[in-house]
Amino acid sequence: MRLLFLQKDELAPFVDNLIASHPVVGPKAKKDRFVFDKIESPSELRLDYDTTVLPPKKYFFQPQQDLIKFSPEGFKGCIEPKQRIIFGVHPYDIKAISMLDQLFSEGKKDWNYLANRNAATIIGINVHTVYKYAFFESMGASIVTKGYDLFLTDIGEEGFVVEAATDKGEALLLLGSFDQATPDQMQKRREILYGQTDRCSQKIVHMPEEIAEKVSRSFHHPIWEEMADRCFSCGSCNLVCPTCYCFDVQDVWNLDQASGTRFRTWDGCLTEDFAKVTVQGGEENFREDRASRYRHRIMRKAVYLNTKLEGPACVGCGRCASACPADLANPVHVLNKIMEG
Amino acid sequence: MNSPYLTDKAEKVTTEAPVKVPVKAPVKEEENIFLPKPAKILHALPMAKSEKCFRLSFEDGTSMGHQPGQIVEASLFGYGEIPLGIASSPTREGYFELVIRKTGRVSNALWNLNEGETMYIRGPLGKGFPVEEFKGHDVLIIAGGIGLCPTRSMIEYIEDRREEFGRFILFFGARTPKDQLFMDCIARWREEKEWIEYHETVDQADADWKGNVGVITTLFSKTSISKDTRVIICGPPVMYKFVIKELKKLSIPDSHIYVDLERRMKCGVGKCGHCQINDLYVCTDGPVFKFASIKNLEEAF
Repeated sequence: MRLLFLQKDELAPFVDNLIASHPVVGPKAKKDRFVFDKIESPSELRLDYDTTVLPPKKYFFQPQQDLIKFSPEGFKGCIEPKQRIIFGVHPYDIKAISMLDQLFSEGKKDWNYLANRNAATIIGINVHTVYKYAFFESMGASIVTKGYDLFLTDIGEEGFVVEAATDKGEALLLLGSFDQATPDQMQKRREILYGQTDRCSQKIVHMPEEIAEKVSRSFHHPIWEEMADRCFSCGSCNLVCPTCYCFDVQDVWNLDQASGTRFRTWDGCLTEDFAKVTVQGGEENFREDRASRYRHRIMRKAVYLNTKLEGPACVGCGRCASACPADLANPVHVLNKIMEG
Repeated sequence: MNSPYLTDKAEKVTTEAPVKVPVKAPVKEEENIFLPKPAKILHALPMAKSEKCFRLSFEDGTSMGHQPGQIVEASLFGYGEIPLGIASSPTREGYFELVIRKTGRVSNALWNLNEGETMYIRGPLGKGFPVEEFKGHDVLIIAGGIGLCPTRSMIEYIEDRREEFGRFILFFGARTPKDQLFMDCIARWREEKEWIEYHETVDQADADWKGNVGVITTLFSKTSISKDTRVIICGPPVMYKFVIKELKKLSIPDSHIYVDLERRMKCGVGKCGHCQINDLYVCTDGPVFKFASIKNLEEAF
C-alpha cells in the first residue's frame, strides 16, 4: 500500500486530467438526490453526496445489457467493454462490487459482467455525508481494504490522503500533483477511516452471525405476513440494491423481423412472476404469496449467501428503505424485530 | 447545493503523453456463457397432442457428452430460451433428444420446427443422476406426465448397460391414454419383460384402455419393491409428497431417493436467480437432488 497526498486545490486539475484521459463517471446532483453519471467538468462531481439512487453496479451489470446479436447470417456475443473511471465510490458500494465480482466469477464466469468490471478503474472515497437510511456500520461496510484502485480520504482543509492500491491506480497518479503523505497526514487518515464508528442513525446491534442463525430459524415467523401485507410486489427494493444480481433474459426482433437481440434486464424476486412456470393446463408459482417473496429477499441478504460471501449480502446502503413505496423494505426494521422478538 | 470540494478552473492542465490504465486481454467468444451451439434437427416425431420429440446433433460434430438427467437451454432467436431435460442416454451416440411441450411462446416456436432446421442449444448443464450410486442396485423410476422425458435418459442408460444394475422397475402415470409419451418405447417396455418391469396408470381412462386407472401411487400395489432400491422421482410438483410417503412405507432411506425438480430458469448457470430453492440453484446444484439433502428445505416441495 502506497499513501500519497493531494492538496485540495489540486483535485480539480486531477479530475480534469482524468476526464481528458478516460470517460469519467461519478456522483452528480439530480433534483434532490444524487446519481452516478458522466462527469464533464470537475464542478459536477459531488463528493459530498450521501448516496446515489442506483449503485455503480449499473456500469458492469447494466439495467439492460445485450447478450447476443442475431441475424439470418448468424449470431455473436456482445462483450465490448468500455474503459471507464468511476470516481467517488463509497466503501459500502465498493464492498458490494467485490461481492458481485465473486458471484459473477463463481462456477462458469460471466464475462458479460467481468469484462466491464475489468475495464473499470475505481476511485473510492470516504463517506462525507451519511444517508439518513444508511446502516453500513452495522453491516461491516464502513471500511474496505480492497476492491478499489485508488482510495481518497478527506482529511480536512489540507486535502486528501490517496491510497494507490493497484497498477491501474498507480497509472493514474501521473495525472495529478501527488506528494508522499507525511506521518501526520497518515495518522489523520487512520483516525477518519477507523475512528468514526457511530455516524449512522440506523443500527442493527446484533452480529451478522447471530442474525443469520436466528433469521434462518424464523422461516415461519409471523413477521413475513405482517410486513408483506402492504407490499406492492413492485421490486423497487431489488432494483436499487447494490448486491441484487438476478436478471431476466428476453429476445427482441429488429423492425426487419429477421435480425434482433437477446438481452438481459434486471429482475427482482419480489415481483409476482419471478418463480412462476407454465405447466400443462396452467401455471405453477413456487413463491406465490407476497410473504414468501418478501422473506426470500431478506433470507438472501441475511442468511443464504453468508457462507459463500463470509458475511451478509447486504452492505447497509439504505437504498431499499428509501425506494420502497410502502416503507416496509428497510432491513433494519425487519432484522431488529426478529432479533428482539 | 454547491460542491464544497470543486469548482471549474479556468485553465485546464494538459499532460504530454496520454495516460491509459493497463487493460486485460479481450474475451474469447467461447468463454461467453450465453452463446449457444447450433444443432441440426435430424428427426421431429409428434408424440401426443402438444408434445414432439426432436432428435438433434450439434452442427460442429461434437457430442453432447452428458450424464443422464442433465439439462440444456434450448432456443430459437427472436423467441427466447427454455430449460429442458435431455431425453436420451449418452450411451446412444451420434445424437441427443429433447421433448418440447407447447405451453408458451418459446416452446410453441420450437415445437413448430421441422427436420433439417436448426435449434440453438447450451449444455449440458447442471447435475444429473449420479449413475455410479445406482450401479449394483435395484432401480425404480417413477415418472409422471412429462417427467418421463428427463428420466428416459436413465431408462435408456439402464437398457444399454443392463448388467450393471439389479431389478429395473418403471412406473409411468399419465392423465389419459392420449397423454402418454414415447408410445413406441412404451409398446416395447410392455413386451420386453426381460430387462424392464413396466407398470403404467392413467388418471382417466378412455374406451380402449385396459390398464390401471388411478394416481401413480396405486402402482405400488402391483409389485414388490425391495428396501435396497434406488428410486428416481420426476413429475408434476404435487406428485412428490405422495410418492415419498409410499417409499417411507417401504423403508427406503431418504439417501436412496433422487428427485428431479423443475423451476423457472433463465441462465442455466447459477446466476439469474429464478430457480432458487432457498439457498440452492436448481440449474447448477440440481436439477437432480438426493432427497436426503433437500428434504428440510422449506421451498423444495
